[in-house]
Amino acid sequence: MSLRSAVAHRNLLYLLTLKELRTRYRKSILGWAWSLLNPISQMIIFSIIFLAIFGGKAPRSSSSGIENFPLYFLSGLLPFQFVSISVGASIGSVQGGASLIKKVAFPHEHLVLSIVFAQLVTVCIELLVLSASFLLFGHFMFQWLIPMALLLVLISLFTTGIALALSAANVFFHDINYLWGIASQILFYASPIIWVVGQVGNEAINTYAPWGPTGAFVTASHQILYQGVFPSLERWGYIAVWSLAVFGLGAWFFNRLSPRFAEEI
Amino acid sequence: MGPLLNSQAGTALTVDNVTKTFRIHHERASSLKQYIASGGRNRYEEFFALRDVSFDVAEGEAVGIIGHNGSGKSTLLKCMAKILTPNQGRIEIHKKMAALLELGAGFHQELSGRDNVFLNASILGMGRKEITTRFDEIVEFSGLGDFIESPVKTYSSGMYVRLAFAVAINVDPELLLIDEILAVGDVTFQKKCMEKFVDFRTQGRTLVLVTHDAYTVREFCDRAIWLDHGVVRRDGDPADIVDEYTETMLGAETTDGAEATRRGDGRIQVTRTELLVGGIPVDRFRNGDDVTIRLHWEAPEPVAQPVFSVTIASLAGAAVTEPSTRDVGMVPESLVGSGHVDVSFAAVPLVASRYVLHTEITGWGRQQVYDHLQNAQTFDVIAGVTNETHGLVTMHPTWSASSGT
Repeated sequence: MSLRSAVAHRNLLYLLTLKELRTRYRKSILGWAWSLLNPISQMIIFSIIFLAIFGGKAPRSSSSGIENFPLYFLSGLLPFQFVSISVGASIGSVQGGASLIKKVAFPHEHLVLSIVFAQLVTVCIELLVLSASFLLFGHFMFQWLIPMALLLVLISLFTTGIALALSAANVFFHDINYLWGIASQILFYASPIIWVVGQVGNEAINTYAPWGPTGAFVTASHQILYQGVFPSLERWGYIAVWSLAVFGLGAWFFNRLSPRFAEEI
Repeated sequence: MGPLLNSQAGTALTVDNVTKTFRIHHERASSLKQYIASGGRNRYEEFFALRDVSFDVAEGEAVGIIGHNGSGKSTLLKCMAKILTPNQGRIEIHKKMAALLELGAGFHQELSGRDNVFLNASILGMGRKEITTRFDEIVEFSGLGDFIESPVKTYSSGMYVRLAFAVAINVDPELLLIDEILAVGDVTFQKKCMEKFVDFRTQGRTLVLVTHDAYTVREFCDRAIWLDHGVVRRDGDPADIVDEYTETMLGAETTDGAEATRRGDGRIQVTRTELLVGGIPVDRFRNGDDVTIRLHWEAPEPVAQPVFSVTIASLAGAAVTEPSTRDVGMVPESLVGSGHVDVSFAAVPLVASRYVLHTEITGWGRQQVYDHLQNAQTFDVIAGVTNETHGLVTMHPTWSASSGT
């Protein structure tokens, strides 16, 4: 679909996103609370593993002096989960829109974009809650949400690129979902989320993990939210190029395959 | 998609040498393992759904596309609707187009009718303001009233279809593509839909209708396009094309009737039946024709007072007529050997459809069945003196009208 028709259908994108948000927690008793309970439960589990079992030590925030592993953990986990959940939910979205794709002409990418947008709304709420938690520990960091917003834009581009490519590929090969399950596990542990750069004995890991496919985002997010430091221009540039490249490739791949969706699904 | 502005005067739609093929996969790899195992190749055959199809639709025309199942008519419609992409050729849409291939495509069960109106209308390409302006009209047309706030999953199928149609028709296209959806909802709602379509036509908008129902095309369209195995076979006046199409379709289907079954003690049997028009055996004829049914019989031993009867019934099983030789006092004392019995009907008043013939030979009292041949033959009646399509027979109606002032 051309960019023009995608823009002409922007109302559809808005409504699909709204539908995504409205129907996500239908029939669940706790409803929207799940979007907060989920990261909180992970935070508790991983904090116990990190602090009690492995005897790890939370890094010290250079600006606020906070040494709090749960906050450090969430600062990295939230942007990472935005990527992994968005992509995971997107993979089946083209396949799931089969009845629509076969009967109506519309920009197929909106099926994917609506999921990323809905997830973006979720992560924004989660970040507000996290910022409030920082306040609980006596650290005011709401002003840091501004650079965080810029970072989220770049992460969204990256996420959309991966989601477009994988959802299109999934029309042809249904094992993409399982492959992503493995890939996102690897990315999770390869990014400094439940571990701290410098506390690992391996110099290569300490050097390269902060520049990994998702490690670069996670590190930037740590710097902004937890450290209260503006990431280096070098890092911003690296993330921008990387995100735009992934987005461009994913969109190109999706557009190439999308004319065949209606007959292949 | 949105309106294209390079509007050619008078042409709503151009289909130019369109060819569409599908791949018929023998062993479709749907996992990477299979794909790699098969050496990265999926074995498939090319199937031509459309081959070099070309035509223009003028502004304000109502075009009916007919064809048997698998003729490519739905593929053509999907290509025109930009759902499928042709392999060759091009399709140009010069007007604001809406395609109704399925009512309620994209309806979400958990959302309210209101939310679904917005969602569905935006899928069909409407902007937010446009929907808001038309919302009341849509609800009014659907007749749903306060139910519009309830989740769609609580709707009856009738309500569902009504809402879906209301949205679709209010997209307000200049060119409407429709696939077999005229018959939705109850009679009142159908009437409302037909009125909307008639409005549509009188406003000079363009309509392309894909259907297997030749009757709709004849009544409703001013041009018919007959697709046969992906090729345009005829294009022109609906009355001619529909007749020819119907005849061909019926001709191709004569052998698919139910199998003949026989009961009775068999001392005399009908060996064969024939349908004769002007002395020539046929398997279809026009209503108004004079038709003779000939029953060939065989009796090895003498049979006393055999009564011959035939039943002409609709495929649904309703008997239209059931004359017997006893009705006219034409019962011989005895029959032996072989011969035939004819029964003739003058100016057969059956409406165009398919019928089935049963034969029976009984004793005088009609209690003892010598031979009953169920489904001895099926035959088709096509439109001749009457174009009626409903009911079983024509009573040669004469209509007149007057109106008070």
